[in-house]
Amino acid sequence: MKTSNDLKDVIITCALGSCIGVAVYDPVAGVGGLLHYMLPDSALDEKRAKENPAMFADTGIPLLFKSCYALGAQKKRMIVKAAGGASILEDTSFFRIGQKNIMAMRKIFWKNNVMITSEDTGGNYNRTVRLEMATGKMFIRTSGGPMKGL
Amino acid sequence: MKIIDRIHKSIEAIPAFPATGGKVAELLSQADYSLAQVANLIENDPSITANVLKMANAPYFGATHKISTMEEAVLYLGRENLLRAIQTAGISLYYQKGSPGYFDHASDFWKHSVAVALMSQILSKKITGDENAALYTAALLHDVGKIIVGEFVRNEMKKISMLVSQHMSFLDAEELVLGINHADVGGKIAEHWTFPIEIQEAISYHHRPDLLEKEDNILPWIVYMADEACLMMGIGSSVEGLTQQTVGASLKKFNLRMKDMERSMVMLSDDLNSARELISIIYS
Repeated sequence: MKTSNDLKDVIITCALGSCIGVAVYDPVAGVGGLLHYMLPDSALDEKRAKENPAMFADTGIPLLFKSCYALGAQKKRMIVKAAGGASILEDTSFFRIGQKNIMAMRKIFWKNNVMITSEDTGGNYNRTVRLEMATGKMFIRTSGGPMKGL
Repeated sequence: MKIIDRIHKSIEAIPAFPATGGKVAELLSQADYSLAQVANLIENDPSITANVLKMANAPYFGATHKISTMEEAVLYLGRENLLRAIQTAGISLYYQKGSPGYFDHASDFWKHSVAVALMSQILSKKITGDENAALYTAALLHDVGKIIVGEFVRNEMKKISMLVSQHMSFLDAEELVLGINHADVGGKIAEHWTFPIEIQEAISYHHRPDLLEKEDNILPWIVYMADEACLMMGIGSSVEGLTQQTVGASLKKFNLRMKDMERSMVMLSDDLNSARELISIIYS
């Protein structure tokens, strides 16, 4: 996870796979951040979640918001975008981590009255996410494809 | 010449696998040998010496202080880890040029391969209680076919992408368009290098372990699950993305639950940190 209040910064996270990238940005404060979490639920390994909260949705997402508040962001102004959560083909029975990651995120946002401005999740491809601090624009690149705005 | 014939020709042209690992294993199995003998044997192969020394310093292999001579490496690594470092250095020689067509950088291809090897050991410990050297080699080599197939995949990408967009797995699309898939090419390379049959099978069947009608070889299954986990974690992502078949029977076969898989993924992120020296031997 990385947060910033430096307009010159560009924050990038590569190759999301089933992981999810959550980008937040407060245009008034010029504060933003990007979280790359791997798994839905910190109950899996609480010790590990303490050391590295960004690994799980339920510990990482609150940390992202709190870290941005510390830099002056306000919840009501924050734009929230998300990408990732891809799955292996015919991912119906076992390897459902991508789907579980998407559901965990939606649940957390729903409970906390946060609206997702836009999202590009699911599918079977990798995504690279880029957040430009100067504009708050978030871009996505899928394997081999061009950069696209989200 | 047809694509399939060109691929077979390329397999035959791959240089023989370095014999150093086998020679060291033989020496270590004798009743007595000196550290200097083992060190000399490794240093006789300059193509791997520097990388074996570099990897000897990986916390993953138990390094606690700086190791700067081969004799120290032999002393502190112990048999299994020493052979593993030699094997890794030998295999990396074939990955230097990467696999344009699948991966943007050789380092992505290598990182994925090392990650699958590390994950195979985590799963092996969970399933059998122990690590497994043959499994490590098979996992490190699971995508070796891509060193040859990459060029052809790049040329035929339009056709392959079209089939994949119609929900065909990338593996089946390769087979349809090229006449052979990267897993089978990898198995043939392992055969060309005279690796044991269980390693050849693990490579050939790493996407479809359910198609190998041999109950006793569990290697393809573990390589399959390790690969799947690394694809989900996006480690060294390639042009295939996640477009491979799910083999639902794999977890059931070993009485694993998805939670076990998730825990293994957490462990892998630790191992990747302590195995940086293994990943960094290919950096382009």
